[in-house]
Amino acid sequence: MNKTKRIENTFDIVRILIAIAVAYLIALIILALISDDPLNVIGLFIAGPFSSKKHIGDIFTRMIPLIFTGLCMCFVYAINKFNLAGEGAVNLGGCLAACVAIALKETSVPGWLCIILCIIVGALAGMLSNAIPAIADQVFHADVCVISLMLNYILLYFTTFILKNVIKDQGAAVTASYKLGSKVKLPKMIPGTTIHIGLLIAIACVVFVAILFYKMPFGYKMRAVGINPTFAKYIGIPVTSTIILAQIIGGSFAGMGGAVQILGMFPRYKWESLTNYGFDGLMIAVLARKNPILVPISAFLIAYIRNGADLVATKTQIPPEFVSIIQGIIIVLVAAEMFLSGWKKRLIFNAARKDLNEKEAKA
Amino acid sequence: MSLMRIGAFLYSTLRLSTPLIFAALSAAICEKAGLFNMAAESMMLWGALIGVMVNGWTGSVWVGFLGACLAGVVVGLLIALATVKGKADLMLAQIAINLASTGGTIFMLFVVTGDKSTSAMTIQSDTLPKIFVPFKKVPIIGPMLNKQNILTYGAILAAVILYIFIKRSKTGVHIRAVGENPNAAESVGISVSKTYFLTWAISGLLGGIGGAFMSMAYTSAFTKNMVAGRGYIGLCASSMVGGNPIGAMFCAIVFGVADAVANQLQLTNAPVDIVMMLPYIVTIVVLIIISVIKMKAHARKIRSKAQKA
Repeated sequence: MNKTKRIENTFDIVRILIAIAVAYLIALIILALISDDPLNVIGLFIAGPFSSKKHIGDIFTRMIPLIFTGLCMCFVYAINKFNLAGEGAVNLGGCLAACVAIALKETSVPGWLCIILCIIVGALAGMLSNAIPAIADQVFHADVCVISLMLNYILLYFTTFILKNVIKDQGAAVTASYKLGSKVKLPKMIPGTTIHIGLLIAIACVVFVAILFYKMPFGYKMRAVGINPTFAKYIGIPVTSTIILAQIIGGSFAGMGGAVQILGMFPRYKWESLTNYGFDGLMIAVLARKNPILVPISAFLIAYIRNGADLVATKTQIPPEFVSIIQGIIIVLVAAEMFLSGWKKRLIFNAARKDLNEKEAKA
Repeated sequence: MSLMRIGAFLYSTLRLSTPLIFAALSAAICEKAGLFNMAAESMMLWGALIGVMVNGWTGSVWVGFLGACLAGVVVGLLIALATVKGKADLMLAQIAINLASTGGTIFMLFVVTGDKSTSAMTIQSDTLPKIFVPFKKVPIIGPMLNKQNILTYGAILAAVILYIFIKRSKTGVHIRAVGENPNAAESVGISVSKTYFLTWAISGLLGGIGGAFMSMAYTSAFTKNMVAGRGYIGLCASSMVGGNPIGAMFCAIVFGVADAVANQLQLTNAPVDIVMMLPYIVTIVVLIIISVIKMKAHARKIRSKAQKA
């Protein structure tokens, strides 16, 4: 690797870390300014999520859906198509998985097979949701972002329709489906925490996607298309099918995420609004620089910040939504090329001059 | 259906369409400049919140309205700052702003009032005046227009003004030129970055007014997440007609009709969710049809050029 490239790569990581630090600092300042007891609140925000076994477990539990949608958005972001249908795919995946679980509840199908079927149905639902904008974009040249935003609402209302008319438990006090049954409940991994086996599934998906991205021809093709579609076309990569396929594969993870979240966390299906996991996934993909291996790390970070905010909210009046400000700042700083670009140029310039001086000294 | 009920239905259609029209116009001017406005959502949220707050402080509903406009403009300029000066990706910057705004407005409400979901109990705010028409006895039109909020008329007026502004004024031509081809525009001396800033400011202004309608006319308080996707609907309404303000207005009204129908059906046993879904399905189908027509026209043009050559 040449020197400039190396500086650029290290610099990118440093830049993301600085962006996170800046945003975190802003959050701490805000917390300090508005609370009556700043030291305790800040302590709770920073150390709270690590204060007990249960709390640490909660971070990992919270990571699970974020990893799935993060992987989905890695595909979308790697080919530079802002297909946001992953948001609705989570709902659809969760809803259809719940339907399957309810349908199989009374049958003699073994539990593990039920779980696998639910997750497969979730994945198929995600593929379908992501495929619609992808095809509309590539075949008909309609704007993928607009179509996917509209599709999210269609998927939302479709799932609420199913919830209210097909799987609603009339006996329940609120709008909720029938009980999914203990058969499909994802088993807990570590006693005393909420971590369920979904975490293993998520990690397995990360490994699979990492291999797909970096060790398989399709991954190379996909990244080439994302970086420069015209060039990819000239060297003979089927651009259209690669773009569509990448989005469909990505969608399967979002749908799977919805299914795993429902099976792992809830006794009944009752999502009546969009979950926001999809948009969170995009943020995680941005933080991970479209690298699937870094997705769990950025998901961990976001889950940690959110759990800290939730803990602050339980002990004080401060609403947990303030973390979304941090998230916004992080994305803008990471996305803004000009942020710290002067420093990067100086580094590259100095390295180049040093090289030149060495060469002249030799000559 | 009696005439009375038709009138009432049209009244609620116009009322529900108003914020959608402002969102659509906010997206339309951006579309003319070749930009993509997903952030009308944020502009409206901040407009709604700041409008109520300023209204509460000063006691004047119109000063509050100005505050709402200003809040929208600030959000617009922030996006311009991040994307033009900071060279951030447009989509990412807007998603970030939307994310920060949903939480940020709730947080600000909490800091100012101590309430986390609504300003109804804590801030004393008024609503913008309603207009009483002299011909309220006329069937259908009378009940449709009587007691509509002044901003509903404002929305229609804004669409017309924006149309003329884009079509006729010098700045409007510059905006369109930048939208067609920024490099070409730059080469004839139009400052692209200035145009972008201006476009975002106007877009923010329109979004802010839409927000003011939500909290100072549609309801009389700010509630969290009160915009609820209206910004995205506006974006779709605008992209269905390629950013033409008048067309965007009519598309927004179509969404308003769907909203009104859904509201009516909520009283009956009809499946509300399916009705709510319909406008979105229609949008997708129309968007695809329009794209196919454009594609065909483009192909024809190329073919005729090839034959001439």
